[in-house]
Amino acid sequence: MSCAEVTSCNERPCEIEVVGLSRSFGKTVAVDRIDFRVGRGELFAFLGPNGAGKTTTINMLTGLLKPDNGKVLYHGELFDPKRLTVKQLIGVVPQHNNLDPELTAAENLLIHGRLFGMRGKQLQERIATCLNFADLTAKRDIQAGKLSGGMKRKLVIARALLHHPEVLFLDEPTVGLDPHSRRKMWAFLRRINQEQNCTVFLTTHYIEEADTLADRVLIIDQAKLVTGGTPEQLKAAVGNYVLDIYNEEEIQNEFFQTRPAALQRLEQLDTSVRIRETTLEDVFLKLTGKRIEP
Amino acid sequence: MLHGVRGIYLREVLILRHKLLKTMLASAVSPALFLLAFGYGVGRSVQVAGSDYLSFLLPGLLTMTSMNQAYGIATEINISRFYFKVFEEYLLAPIKRWEIILGETCYGITKGFIPVLIIGLYSLLTGVSLNFGPLFLLSLLLHLTIFALFGFIAAMIVKNHADQATINAFLITPMMFLSGTFFPVEKMPLAIRVVASIFPLTYSTQLIRATLTPGAEVNYWLFAVLLLILGILFMIAKRIVTKVEI
Ligand SMILES: Nc1ncnc2c1ncn2[C@@H]1O[C@H](COP(=O)(O)OP(=O)(O)OP(=O)(O)O)[C@@H](O)[C@H]1O
Ligand SMILES: [Mg+2]
Repeated sequence: MSCAEVTSCNERPCEIEVVGLSRSFGKTVAVDRIDFRVGRGELFAFLGPNGAGKTTTINMLTGLLKPDNGKVLYHGELFDPKRLTVKQLIGVVPQHNNLDPELTAAENLLIHGRLFGMRGKQLQERIATCLNFADLTAKRDIQAGKLSGGMKRKLVIARALLHHPEVLFLDEPTVGLDPHSRRKMWAFLRRINQEQNCTVFLTTHYIEEADTLADRVLIIDQAKLVTGGTPEQLKAAVGNYVLDIYNEEEIQNEFFQTRPAALQRLEQLDTSVRIRETTLEDVFLKLTGKRIEP
Repeated sequence: MLHGVRGIYLREVLILRHKLLKTMLASAVSPALFLLAFGYGVGRSVQVAGSDYLSFLLPGLLTMTSMNQAYGIATEINISRFYFKVFEEYLLAPIKRWEIILGETCYGITKGFIPVLIIGLYSLLTGVSLNFGPLFLLSLLLHLTIFALFGFIAAMIVKNHADQATINAFLITPMMFLSGTFFPVEKMPLAIRVVASIFPLTYSTQLIRATLTPGAEVNYWLFAVLLLILGILFMIAKRIVTKVEI
């Protein structure tokens, strides 16, 4: 994968550009000189294992942490969190649900709206729209602390959408959800991307999430970018088909661009072998030597 | 304008609504105990600083309990910052950082008024006449602003709940007892008088007691002293909150 491909925006206008971004905490380097771009309207996934530096990156992109080095540009302009207009563009769904548990669903949105300078009838209407969009209209007067995990997650997302952000950052949006709710969340995120015309930047350590949901995936490990591109590009770069070769104590992988090539190799082997399509897990394993999901 | 201040204040007040009764009871119990233990223990017959002890004690209880409530926003900010992480919402909003200080301070002032009402009630019950006039209100406002700012600063510099307890033990509790709330500072040994002279509560108690006590002479310089302390605290708070990261 060439550098140009990693950083392209798929021919969309560039929404966010990140150059040489770094941040350390004491001796721990959390994010190490990463570069990438996100195109307007893209659904972009930042994939990496625990501790890779995903949250730290989001925090620098949203102004919660100052980078030690490097810069962030929105629409080509240097991001300065002190300039308040740029914050209107950004919606954030943090890794933990930071709702006020004693306030109702609607009150949680109300406070957010007020903080973003919205008020009156216009704010009330927007609250109703966002609750409806998140399927939470029936819960508007329930205290947030009493909602289910999936509902809380959706409420945090509804809150982040309230002020019509142009970019929505979601830090591990489906963590803690059961497989069924996770799929529903994926559909919801796609709707946000398409219906609300929102650029979506999400982090995940679920391979499948990045693979099925994202237009483009960036893989990060130990503070550094490993590779990036569409899921298809990433798989093609290592080989679209893979043989799992069962040796005495381990499984060896061999990659092939085409199925016939893989089958040809399979016939030469006399151990137990399986042929399958390459996943992003294989990409990660091949490039870093370890698995994302332990 | 100031939508950040109003948004944060609204949030705090909506939450206070749920625990108003608890807050009122909490600010009613401790002054009642002090009144019983000291007020009636020492008795009305004892003269302190030119008046009977109960008349001396009630204004002291007022400053102490209202300080506790205003400063008490520290714990709440702490919880919303480290536990619920709602503070992130403020940092992400398109508002100036000093608006956060102002919103929280207004909330601390609001909370500080609760014990004032209760002490007012106690003054009726005990027959101590207090003069709740405009000068008193002005001094009370300065006093509450100072301790709300104190609470805000404490919440910003601590890293966890344990730090918070340390500040309470080493700063707030000594201040509560040594600032002329229960006994006149002039009667204390020199060492304590020196310590008391750096506690803002010493000055606000002196001013509030004078404005509350009918016929007492008010030292107007104390307004300037409190205003100065307030200004310094605001500058400190502003420096800290500008640098704060999640
Ligand atoms: N406030 C902090 N103080 C000290 N170290 C930190 C801090 N925040 C992050 N780190 C360290 O920086 C590294 C990256 O952390 P980060 O939270 O960005 O990872 P992540 O990819 O979001 O992981 P996860 O999937 O577990 O959320 C980790 O080694 C972490 O321990
Ligand atoms: Mg994280």
